[in-house]
Amino acid sequence: MEQHEDKSARWFMYTSVLFFLVTILIGLIMSIRFIAPEFLGGIASLSHGRIRAIHTNGVLFGWLLAADMGLCYYLVPRLAGVRLFSEKLGMATLGLWVVIILGAVVTLGIGDTQGKEYLELDMALDILVTIAWVMFAINIFATIARRKYENMYASLWYVMGTILWTAILWIVANLPVYAGVNDANVNWWFGHNAVGLIFTPVGLAIAYYFIPKATGNPLYSHKLSLIGFWTIAFLYIWNGAHHILFGPIPTWLQTVAILFSISLLIPVWTAVTNFYGTMRGKWAQANTVVKFFLAGTTFYLLTCFQGPMHSLRTVNQIVSKTDWIVGHAHMAVFGAFSFFAMGGIYFSLPRMLKRPVFSEKLAEWHFWLSFVGFLGFAISLWIGGFVQGLQWMDYRISFLDTVKAMFPYYLVRMFSAILMVAAQLMFAYNVLRTARGNGHAPAAPAVA
Amino acid sequence: MKLETNAILLLVVVAVFMFLGSYFTMVVPLMDARLNAPSKDARPYTELEMKGRHVYQKEGCVYCHTQQVRNLLEETQRYGMGEEETFKRFGIRALIQAPPSQPGEFAYDQPHFLGTRRVGPDLARVGGKYDNTWHINHLRDPRSTSPGSLMPAYSWLFDKASQPTPDAIALVAYIQKLGTNYKWREEGVEQARKLQGISAALPFKEGKQ
Repeated sequence: MEQHEDKSARWFMYTSVLFFLVTILIGLIMSIRFIAPEFLGGIASLSHGRIRAIHTNGVLFGWLLAADMGLCYYLVPRLAGVRLFSEKLGMATLGLWVVIILGAVVTLGIGDTQGKEYLELDMALDILVTIAWVMFAINIFATIARRKYENMYASLWYVMGTILWTAILWIVANLPVYAGVNDANVNWWFGHNAVGLIFTPVGLAIAYYFIPKATGNPLYSHKLSLIGFWTIAFLYIWNGAHHILFGPIPTWLQTVAILFSISLLIPVWTAVTNFYGTMRGKWAQANTVVKFFLAGTTFYLLTCFQGPMHSLRTVNQIVSKTDWIVGHAHMAVFGAFSFFAMGGIYFSLPRMLKRPVFSEKLAEWHFWLSFVGFLGFAISLWIGGFVQGLQWMDYRISFLDTVKAMFPYYLVRMFSAILMVAAQLMFAYNVLRTARGNGHAPAAPAVA
Repeated sequence: MKLETNAILLLVVVAVFMFLGSYFTMVVPLMDARLNAPSKDARPYTELEMKGRHVYQKEGCVYCHTQQVRNLLEETQRYGMGEEETFKRFGIRALIQAPPSQPGEFAYDQPHFLGTRRVGPDLARVGGKYDNTWHINHLRDPRSTSPGSLMPAYSWLFDKASQPTPDAIALVAYIQKLGTNYKWREEGVEQARKLQGISAALPFKEGKQ
């Protein structure tokens, strides 16, 4: 057995959890403002229009992508059967990543934004992200190139795909050459695939690795994982325009995006079948890690059923531009891929540190509060968004009345957000205590 | 299968697939003149409007306001002029629908502000709906003009005497320009007058329709 140092893996995880706490707190502030618009008002840098970008970029790049990178540093060397190519390069990548995230908070706080969703970061930061990504790519590809086993497991295809897709998406979308509706089309070519070709494949890489490990079952079907990978590789990139249905873009482009959106059911259902199949027989005695993957898989199935459905014109007409979409986006990023990352951290951290998690009980609480909180968050926004969408269809209902009608849903969303933040506080405390390692509580036997 | 063992071959096929989809859904539209050319009555932004556009960008207005009237009846109605508005301003009761957004209207927009979420209403046709004073009051205290609104008060766009800063004035100039590429309000009212004139002149026979 190869001895892994895992320094980069661990420190990427610690950092990501810290950023998660900060950015999810910003999310909570925003949810309070939907009840009390003047909450923390009067400060430009804390206004909704500025912290909204800090929340999305912080959660996507500060938490989720950093956590995913940490998990890649863990699983790629193990699947390759060799040590990580360079721990020094890994730590340097982390240093640069921290600079980028802090830089993002400062620049977005002062209103220095490119003004496009998920592409807000200043050009200088864009270049730093590109450099960091190349450093990450070198480390991972060099590790894979020196692998001991000739065959590559599904997770490795997904990691390699993620690296290539992310690089191309990021560089092409950040070129400052587009204008008008094409700027919007490129924005959504990027925006849709930021989820579809960055967080989905790396999330699946994590699930494909940790679900068999955590359950002790072999992968249900190799063939399904192949079908899933190649259909994702072929189908995802065609979908961006479904964000602008009925908008000022050609009808053929909208129709193509709809057709390919429906076809996304293929990679999703193959992956979900594979995950459920692998977890078969282990649901009843599910430990926290398996719970995160089970719930994550279910949220993945749900969010990716919603996606194709509301790319249909008749559904899109109602839900587009409403809070339904906010619920949908959070289910992908929080419900599915953050749950996968959390499960991966709970599995890998004790193994890297060679000591148990500080508190299994706290981990259970983290899971259940995240789960229940998120259900409240998503369901309130779906019902509210759908109702608002229906109200918008009658022009005689004034816009302000449709805003006021959202009050009860926003109230439930705010309380749900409190649960979600409380859960992540427990997560961070648990990770911190596990990392420090002194005086850990005995593991609760019921969940061992 | 060979692709599973050959990392380079796998990456090549992945890149080819990505290129295919990107070519048809992104590159082809980029080369489509109908999507890039300004519509015949679109004009570039003035210096003041451009400054206002930067304020709009900086304050993240795009996160809560879209700028696209979608090609749907409920949107052309909602973002058009209702009977109350036409009566107050033009002395005629009619529902004037807003024209759906056209690609040529956005030719001078960089970055685009099409948006994805409506916490507040769409702004694609808002130019000319309210007067400048209304907009200034709305920015200073949104709930004074729009009770129930969730918009924050933009106190940093006003000085100590609560007078609008140059940024606020520029922002209002930009908002007032939105959607005015077509003179759709005036043309719509004129058309409504004609139609109402014709229907008034038509002989009306009871029981026969």
